Amino acid sequence: MKLELINLTKKYGNFIALDNINITFTEGIYGILGANGAGKSTMMNLLTDNITRTEGQILFDGTDILKLGKDFRLNLGYMPQQQGYYEHMTAQTFLSYMADLKAIPKRQAKAEIEKLLEITNLSDVRHKKLGGYSGGMKQRVLLAQALLGDPKVVILDEPTAGLDPKERIRIRNFISSMSRGRIILLATHIVSDIESISDKILMMKHGCLVGVDTPLGLLESVADKVKELPCDPNDLEHMQEQYKVGNVFRRQGETWVRIVGDELPDEGRFVSDYLSLEDVYLYYLGE
Amino acid sequence: MKELRRILSKRRLLIGFVLILLLNGFLFAREQYENNFGLDVEISGGSLVFVDGSFISAQESVDAKAAYQRYMSWLDRVKDMPPEQAAELLEKEKSSLSSKIGYETAAEDDRLDYVAVKNLLAQTEYLTGYGDWLENIQRNKENLLTFSIFNDSKSFSGRNIIKTADEFKKLENVNLTLGADGAINSFMSFSLTDYFLTLLLILIAFSFLEERKAGLWSVVHAAPNGRLKLALRRTLILFLSSVCGVVLLYGTDLIIGFYFYGSIDSLGRAVQSVKILGKLPMISSVGGFLVNYFILRIAAAFLISLILWLMLTVINNVKYTIIVTAGILAAEYGLYTFLPVQSAFNILKYFNLYTYISLSDLYTNYLNIDIFTYPLGIRSISQFSLIPLCLILAAVCIYIHCHKKPASGRDLLGKIAYRINSVTDKLLRRLNLMGMELHKTLWIQKGIVIIILLSFAAVKLPYTIKIPITSLAEQAASKYTAQFAGEITDSTVALINEEQNRLDDILTSYENAKTAYENGEIEYPELDKYNREASSAQINAEGLSKVLERIEELKNFSAEHGFTPWLIDETPFESVYGSRAQNNQQQAALLAVLALTLLLAGSLTYERQSGMTYLLRSTPQGRGALIFRKLTLAALMTTLVWGVVYGMELYTLITNFEITAWNASSRNLSMLAEFPLNCPVTVWLVLLYIYRWLCLFCGAIIVLFISDLLRRPEAAYIAAAGVMLLPSLLYTYMGIEIFRPLSVILPVEAMPLLNAHSGAVSEALIRGGALVGIAVMIVVKFFVSTNGIKRKRA
Repeated sequence: MKLELINLTKKYGNFIALDNINITFTEGIYGILGANGAGKSTMMNLLTDNITRTEGQILFDGTDILKLGKDFRLNLGYMPQQQGYYEHMTAQTFLSYMADLKAIPKRQAKAEIEKLLEITNLSDVRHKKLGGYSGGMKQRVLLAQALLGDPKVVILDEPTAGLDPKERIRIRNFISSMSRGRIILLATHIVSDIESISDKILMMKHGCLVGVDTPLGLLESVADKVKELPCDPNDLEHMQEQYKVGNVFRRQGETWVRIVGDELPDEGRFVSDYLSLEDVYLYYLGE
Repeated sequence: MKELRRILSKRRLLIGFVLILLLNGFLFAREQYENNFGLDVEISGGSLVFVDGSFISAQESVDAKAAYQRYMSWLDRVKDMPPEQAAELLEKEKSSLSSKIGYETAAEDDRLDYVAVKNLLAQTEYLTGYGDWLENIQRNKENLLTFSIFNDSKSFSGRNIIKTADEFKKLENVNLTLGADGAINSFMSFSLTDYFLTLLLILIAFSFLEERKAGLWSVVHAAPNGRLKLALRRTLILFLSSVCGVVLLYGTDLIIGFYFYGSIDSLGRAVQSVKILGKLPMISSVGGFLVNYFILRIAAAFLISLILWLMLTVINNVKYTIIVTAGILAAEYGLYTFLPVQSAFNILKYFNLYTYISLSDLYTNYLNIDIFTYPLGIRSISQFSLIPLCLILAAVCIYIHCHKKPASGRDLLGKIAYRINSVTDKLLRRLNLMGMELHKTLWIQKGIVIIILLSFAAVKLPYTIKIPITSLAEQAASKYTAQFAGEITDSTVALINEEQNRLDDILTSYENAKTAYENGEIEYPELDKYNREASSAQINAEGLSKVLERIEELKNFSAEHGFTPWLIDETPFESVYGSRAQNNQQQAALLAVLALTLLLAGSLTYERQSGMTYLLRSTPQGRGALIFRKLTLAALMTTLVWGVVYGMELYTLITNFEITAWNASSRNLSMLAEFPLNCPVTVWLVLLYIYRWLCLFCGAIIVLFISDLLRRPEAAYIAAAGVMLLPSLLYTYMGIEIFRPLSVILPVEAMPLLNAHSGAVSEALIRGGALVGIAVMIVVKFFVSTNGIKRKRA
């Protein structure tokens, strides 16, 4: 099973939202990292055929998804970035409705809904109307609907936005556990969401792919690009103008900064043993 | 004032206000036409009609507007006379006109004058009889107090008799004068305005709940000005809304009333001069009464708004607040409407929210109720308690607003709702996608309410018109047509000839009787008997000859066009589908189009507003299949609306008339003589109703298209109403010709098909064809855009 993006481009007039993307997804979890406006959602919308592509192809097992049409959508689970739901429906009814839309047989749908409500910790509030749900609860319902029907391609746009840490971990682990036999694309700008579960990470900036690798590979690629050094709080602004500044923290009564880049000052010390994807994010995507 | 600005910036609310104002004005004006401008326009005792072998007075009516103009000119002639003198003059005029209109040759002017004089006389008689009525009250007091059961001056009955007499005694010297009472009568009788005002106040009170819906209640409550200051501002807003609502709504009624009925200069008359206010024991001019009424209206509206605000503030959960408020309003209405006057609890009937809503009743009825054996006037109780009640309620509302904790209270109703939802979820799980579409439309988007209202309106619609009797011969012809209705055969002609002979015999007998009378063989009463029979036979003979003419016409026409001639009683068809019934047809079409617009305008907008577009499009059944479901929904809703409106029409036709000519060729009906298809009446009816269904369905598709274009439901409803109804209203009711081609109700009412004169059927087909063409283009566009040839912006 593979999903190929070939020369995929999306333009809005003269603005290029997605620029000539070429990548092949096979089974596994793909984290798509990028700042707001980097082109993540555009890519998601092209993959779900919610917007018209300007150029290029999206092939699922060698056939364009436009040609596959409904057959592709039978294998698709999608959770959009913007929360879409019927506020007058309960979670139970909403999921039943979505199961019908996905042409899942009633008996199978019932079992799946039970399981997904359990996983998303919504069993106790399943008969409450969605309009009365908190933001995090709505997010979990939308995640549950995306996973209905055992889809082969799962596209999750900011799935953990609005969730508390405990829920994030729970959902993250579940996504991780279901990756076998599936292509899971997980777009986010929250690094910790994908750090531990992604097989590969795509770094997107201004509509282009600026890096694709495993988390380890990406970490290694910035091994000599990160330094920590003490900094006078008054010089912090100056430091931010010169370098990509990550964390600012206190250590032994002093203010320290963590900076990322190709050209770093002589003072300070390199950090190579406890690098994080935040450093990677800053290196590739920081302005 | 920012709170006021916030409320006024709510588009939905403003649209609601404007719609309420327009609808109130429109319905008020319409009511005046329907009530014949307050005149009794029936002319009984007019021309004689022969029915079932005897002569009776025909019930005729005249054009109400023209009659009102006559009424005004007669009023000008007599209004400065003392009522007794005016009554005398009018009585004479009425007798004179009455004798004139007893003949078929009576001029229309005489009929109009008769109606005008008759109504003015009735009004004058009220004025002349008012003094007697007052005296009667005093006499009754004296008489009743002589009975042992009433003369106990410490009982309610005794006290009530004395109080009533005392209150009306002060009116003894009031000088009643003639004037045009129409404006005041219509103003006091039009109760819909009361409910429009209540609706407007409900909308205002509901706008206070916005912060709860938006989850901002805690924020507002925590803000320094979010308690007392906000509560005071809201109290002021309710008061201002009451003032504006009353002035605009009732002001509109009054202005339209004076526009229609004139006589704004007669406001200085004693208020009892207007019959509807005759039982008001208050010395005042009509103008003074109106000022008093408006002030009390404003106070009552303020009180109602405070009660609504209180009900909405007490419960935390918005939804349950609405349910409880609706429950209380329903309970109050039940008490107000159904509690008997004699009930021991009648205080609940009169000291009721609806007493303040239907304030006019306090002025048009006089009633004292028993409060611990003391008679208290319902008007006095309601009036004098208004100000204290307003102050108390305002204080309570302000207190609750300040002290009600947003996070407090157990949501007991929430638990009940959860249980109910668990049951409905089980049911909904069994529905397929189409079932869910119906659930969304009928339940979530409250389509069921539209259907209930539609059914109610459909039952109230007039589907038949009274075919006026133009002459006695016509009446006789109609009777013979019914008698000889059926396929025209030799036996039909034989039967008619037999009847003709019978009539000839009667006429001959009369001629013989005349000779016998001249010869002194019979007395005058016997001759008179013959005379009456002969007059009747003469009219019948004329009627019969008309039937024969029609039979000949049908025979020739059928031979020419190859169908079997039938003599059909056309009254049922003329009455329901005839050109005179066009108003009925327009109203039915308008109602059907309105209902469809309201049912479907939010359908696709709802998906967009819910943010479901992306999600739906990512599913296998969320593109073409979704459009197919929406179109099926449109077809189902069309069938429902069509079934309700035109089902009622057909039911009226079948149940009100005995029709035997179902299998006769439709061309036997005069109105369908030129219908291009030679088919039985039944088939013609089937074609007609299918055509109407098709036109309505095409209209429904246009509504769906508009719904798909817009993002906000209110915008979709307005746009759909603008496209589907506005041109029709402007053309139909205002006669603006340029809107004719855009009027959707014209193809739906299908008048050209109903009255198939030369070229009319082609016009119907062109009109219907254009509608179908537009609908087909929309359907193609829907499928093209959803199936990927041209993807629309989600």
